[in-house]
Amino acid sequence: MAQRAVWLVSHEPRTPACGTVRFSRRYPTVEKRAKVFNGASYVPIPEDGPLLNALLFELGLLDTDKDFVESRDSCARINKTSVYGLRLGGDELWPVVAFLKNGLIYASLPLVEQTLSPRPSLINNSGISQAFELLFGVQDFLYSSQKSDAELNTKLGQLPDLLLQTCPFGTLLDANLQSSLDNINVSSMTQPPKQPAWKTGTYKGKPHVSISILEKVKSMQYDKRDLADLWQVIGTVICKCDLEGIMPNVTISLSLPTNGSPLQDILVHPCVTSLDSAVLTSTSIDAADDSAFSGPYKFPLTPPSEAFNLCYYTSQVPVPPILGFYQMQEEEVQLKITVNLKLHESVKNNFEFCEAHIPFYNRGPITHVEYKVSFGQLEVLREKSLMIWTIGQKFPKSMAITLSGIITFGTKNPEKQPFDQICIGGTAYVKLHFKILDYTLTGCYADQHSVQVFASGKPKISTHRKLISSDYYIWNSKAPAPVAYGSLLL
Amino acid sequence: MGPLSREAWAQRLGAFRGSPSAFMAGPEGESLGRDLLRDLRSEKLSEQTKVSLLALSMEFPDQLWPDAAEAEAAATSLLDTLHLLSPRPSVLRRPLLLAATAALVAGGALGPTSGASARLLPLLLGLAAGRDGDGVFGSASEQRLLQATAWECLRELESCRPGLLGGCLGLLRGLLGREGPVQPLSLLLALALRNGLVIRARAGASLGGLLTGSDFPTGGGPHTHPWDWTLAEEGDGRLQPQAPSCPAAEDGGRGLAALETSPEEVRELRATLAQLLDICYLLTPVAQAQLLWLLGWGLQGLRGQPPALFKPQLVRLLGTGQLALLHAVLALKAAFGEALFTAQDEALLLHRLTAAAQHPALPAPTHLFYLHCLLNFPENSPLGPSDEEGPPLLLGAQLCQGLLPSLLQEPMTLLAHLHLLCMLCADDGEEEGKGRVQGLRCYLEKVLAGLRQRASLAAGPRASATLCFRASYLVAACLAGQPTVLTSLTQGLAQLYQCRPALAPHFVDLLNSVGPELREPLRVALRQEVVLGTGSDGALRWHLQMLAKVAGRDGQSTTLRFLQGAAAHCSDWALQQALLQVCRSLLRDGVAGGLADLLQMLAGHLKDPDGRDHARLYYLLLAHLSETKLGMALGPSLTAPALASSLVAENQGFAAALTVQEAPPALRLSVGPRRLEGPSPVLQLLLEPLKPLYSLELRFHVGGQVYRPLDAVYVPCLLPGRPARPLLLPLQPRRPAPTRLEVSALYTTPTGRTCHAHLPPLQVKFEDLFLPFPSPPEDTGSRFFEELWASCLPKGTESRVWCPLGPEGLEALVSRRLGPFVVVAQSPDSYCVAIHLPPTSRLLLRLGPAQEDGVSVALLTDDWTVLPLAGDYLRGLSEAA
Repeated sequence: MAQRAVWLVSHEPRTPACGTVRFSRRYPTVEKRAKVFNGASYVPIPEDGPLLNALLFELGLLDTDKDFVESRDSCARINKTSVYGLRLGGDELWPVVAFLKNGLIYASLPLVEQTLSPRPSLINNSGISQAFELLFGVQDFLYSSQKSDAELNTKLGQLPDLLLQTCPFGTLLDANLQSSLDNINVSSMTQPPKQPAWKTGTYKGKPHVSISILEKVKSMQYDKRDLADLWQVIGTVICKCDLEGIMPNVTISLSLPTNGSPLQDILVHPCVTSLDSAVLTSTSIDAADDSAFSGPYKFPLTPPSEAFNLCYYTSQVPVPPILGFYQMQEEEVQLKITVNLKLHESVKNNFEFCEAHIPFYNRGPITHVEYKVSFGQLEVLREKSLMIWTIGQKFPKSMAITLSGIITFGTKNPEKQPFDQICIGGTAYVKLHFKILDYTLTGCYADQHSVQVFASGKPKISTHRKLISSDYYIWNSKAPAPVAYGSLLL
Repeated sequence: MGPLSREAWAQRLGAFRGSPSAFMAGPEGESLGRDLLRDLRSEKLSEQTKVSLLALSMEFPDQLWPDAAEAEAAATSLLDTLHLLSPRPSVLRRPLLLAATAALVAGGALGPTSGASARLLPLLLGLAAGRDGDGVFGSASEQRLLQATAWECLRELESCRPGLLGGCLGLLRGLLGREGPVQPLSLLLALALRNGLVIRARAGASLGGLLTGSDFPTGGGPHTHPWDWTLAEEGDGRLQPQAPSCPAAEDGGRGLAALETSPEEVRELRATLAQLLDICYLLTPVAQAQLLWLLGWGLQGLRGQPPALFKPQLVRLLGTGQLALLHAVLALKAAFGEALFTAQDEALLLHRLTAAAQHPALPAPTHLFYLHCLLNFPENSPLGPSDEEGPPLLLGAQLCQGLLPSLLQEPMTLLAHLHLLCMLCADDGEEEGKGRVQGLRCYLEKVLAGLRQRASLAAGPRASATLCFRASYLVAACLAGQPTVLTSLTQGLAQLYQCRPALAPHFVDLLNSVGPELREPLRVALRQEVVLGTGSDGALRWHLQMLAKVAGRDGQSTTLRFLQGAAAHCSDWALQQALLQVCRSLLRDGVAGGLADLLQMLAGHLKDPDGRDHARLYYLLLAHLSETKLGMALGPSLTAPALASSLVAENQGFAAALTVQEAPPALRLSVGPRRLEGPSPVLQLLLEPLKPLYSLELRFHVGGQVYRPLDAVYVPCLLPGRPARPLLLPLQPRRPAPTRLEVSALYTTPTGRTCHAHLPPLQVKFEDLFLPFPSPPEDTGSRFFEELWASCLPKGTESRVWCPLGPEGLEALVSRRLGPFVVVAQSPDSYCVAIHLPPTSRLLLRLGPAQEDGVSVALLTDDWTVLPLAGDYLRGLSEAA
């Protein structure tokens, strides 16, 4: 379950090395064990230089993809998990857990407590999930509230100390690096014996519980007879409990109105102490299962000091909040488009913003547009071949709005206009971006009475809700569109 | 040298981290470890600089202090530095403890004889238990800070030396839940307990007082008695996997059943386990997972410990989406199977995993790992072989809907989902599922078509082409038995080639990788695709590359027609070579007919002289070699390693036919009975071929300058089973001395290859060099010998040797071994022997009279260097009988 080494590499395309090792840490005592356990199949860890090159090559991040290279591009080299074997000379360093996120490659090498040939299965190696937890922990730390490169550099500078705290000998003690950082800064370390290891210090002050429900809705709409439209709500409940005492007990309940959509696929934070079996079994994957449980969803827990994601859920609401259709047809040198959007009557008609983005890929710049909108304004970004239809805060009374137009394009310049692998020919989409405050699509809410706190003092309870769109696509119904299996009405 | 400045250290550490090996090989490398230990005590350096020095020693102790003695000295110095710190709070104490621990373990110095170990262990345990005897760590608040660190150091030491803390299990149990931080203590207790049990079980011993002793392993207190190494010594330094990945092969798992436990001990154990599991919730998720792996696998098979102990934890764990926790649940599932998970529990676990594998709130690497876990799920009653990936029985196609590929996914996710889809498509079991499988196959074709469309975009990145071919490969591998799928795949790929011939290298790679089910139809389809074109478009280069792979005996006339047409457009060297490459592969496949005409045409008309030469060579080969030999000459070499460069690979087979191949010995060579012929010693060689050899040439090499170089020996033909004439190899010694001949053989095989083989060396013995003197006229032998003797005497060396006699007696021995050299024989009791040793030495022997067990031999030689050889020879005479 220990790690032999961990690395952070920044991916820098179009530079000679294509990357730099920003941080690395090796664990010699674990390495000592690796030598014994791996025996003849032991491969030592290379220095940072060779490792960088091997890692970038294996992830296909070197800039040399002009020509076919068999050792990289061969069809038989298929990776189905983020676990790689790095080729170093004649040897292969395995299993390197690695992934690229926001231009940084997170990599770790877990100890395998047996010989490596034949290769043991990943599922039987506890080090793999520990490696993922470590890397996710580092990623959360680097990107929580981090805005600029300077901040990233500061955080990278804190990493050695933090890992000394949370992973001194290669065995991870806590994946929550941020709380460990707070831990270092807590001067009075009077830790009572029954204090959870994931709770740093104790809170002193007025009790306060804050619960935010954030729902994202995604959709794929085709407006086609043989394809079903898809939509899904993904919820995240974020809590922050400022309560006195070592282990205050709290029960938070989420409720649905009578016509609310049941929550499914609920994943809870590890601080939740017990779960109703109905919460555990309500799932979206089994269409045949109609034993919908509509709450209330009770989560008894001991809260950690910092803000945490109490739970994630998905939900299948009966209708998408905005139903649309998009028709685009090529007529000689022009494109003729029509977009219709209709807000469902049950949805709160009060947006923070609402926009429809209409991109045109693999074409030249927009040279001429003739259009008519029934509502809102249209902005045309000619060079980017993009039109943005700003709908604003409210749909009109009719709840339905239309845009139609005829667009002419100039000659294509691959440097300036966007290329897309999917939107070829007539395949095109409109993407909606919107946000509604104090609203959830499922109806899910937490109120004053839904929080029980077994601690001294009556806490102030504040709740927030919001709905935002994410991957909300309306595809051109006059051309083929990418479909998921669930869309095929078989 | 005095202490270095902060800047100097920063520079040094930077240079070291850049490349530790280069730094250590450089001028400063040798002193780095020493300087570091010295400067830790320097008052000029800030604590922050010292922390960075300690960070280096934690990470690279094996480079700084590579052997046990150095590591021991370093750890001692670090501990001394720790004691020298002023009682003020300091950030150095924690890294000093960690560095000392790392140095001892990494240098291999940890052990009962190590003084540093004897200091560190009680110090750590004292700190951990909150009983710092000697007040090293001033303030109470800092002690608490160090407590957790001390526990971690002890856990690492126990991991690297199982059994080390076996003596304080009772103490640990007592502390758990009463004092100190709960996480490090419970993890150490679980580890030490597991290790102790495994060691005792392996020894077939009982638990003893392992769990009940409640004091320091040093006896009365931290510093009064030496550390108790008993259990660690019993463990023999053998490492224990903390989470065995291969449970069946581990003796830890099953071996625990061998442990003898009394009912009280069983109770004690269960109480400890329950205590550990009870506080599991207080640990961080990653530490909970560690504890569960440790207890799950570690205690599997232990008598009286029901897996149901874990049950109260499961619902809580199943509710989370945390990777480490669900992975630990899977480990428990694999360890205990049905004993912990009923069929319903198994179904619930599968549902949770499936939901987690596609949950939009989790990141892609987590999805992929969960999918991997699903396909390798430890089922209660698996149907297929356990090492094969496949969706578990309880996970029907219905539940997998969300795990099917979509074109909008990242390549890795798409491939993983496509793999699952292929496995579902391959399953044509019962009747009612047929419709669904049909639907899945339709969907598969849609996805593949989408991928091909993306790959066909001229401006598309290589990654989309790579993805398309990987998907095709997966489908071909998983659905090789589904002709309909393969047919549409073949057609789709042929169309893709038509759209984008620049993908030819991918096609060649695919043809090389897939099985014959797809390879053959795809080859035919691609060949047709190529030869139906005119060969005049810009893609000629790709067409030729493709054709070199797919051309064959079938459809040769169209192929040749295409080539004929293409030749006109092959204006540059590269295109001509590509064209010739196709000719070559046709030659190899035995296409003869029109090919000769084409080659002749090329030999005359190609612009590049190199191309013309090649064409002419191919023409000559075609005209002169039989089909099998052609195939052999142009086919890929089996012995040579595959080289990545296409330039080299291209000519490999051809070059193999024309150059000498190294081969294992194909004949046995031995030395036959001695023959005395001619003026020099001759070695009679016996040949025994193992396979037919032609034009055999045997080459001999004598080390040093002892002999003149030997000529090679030629044999036209050797066939196994047919007697070969012995070969005579004349030796020309420069000194009379035995030697060893290195022998190598060069020959041609019946297939026309020339091979070279090293044969075992041949020994030339001393007696092989003996030559007789010309025989004197009758009755003058005695005088001749005396004259020889007298002529040798002036500068000769005389000696006397006892030559033991075997049962055969002197007469028989002499006639067998020395017969040709006897000058005077006064049988049966005295012989005079004269031996000529080329080039110019003489060896004279007077034997007899024979006594009971030997005979005394007087010997005289004019070359003193042969005396020891002659002595050895005579002493060994009878043995050789």
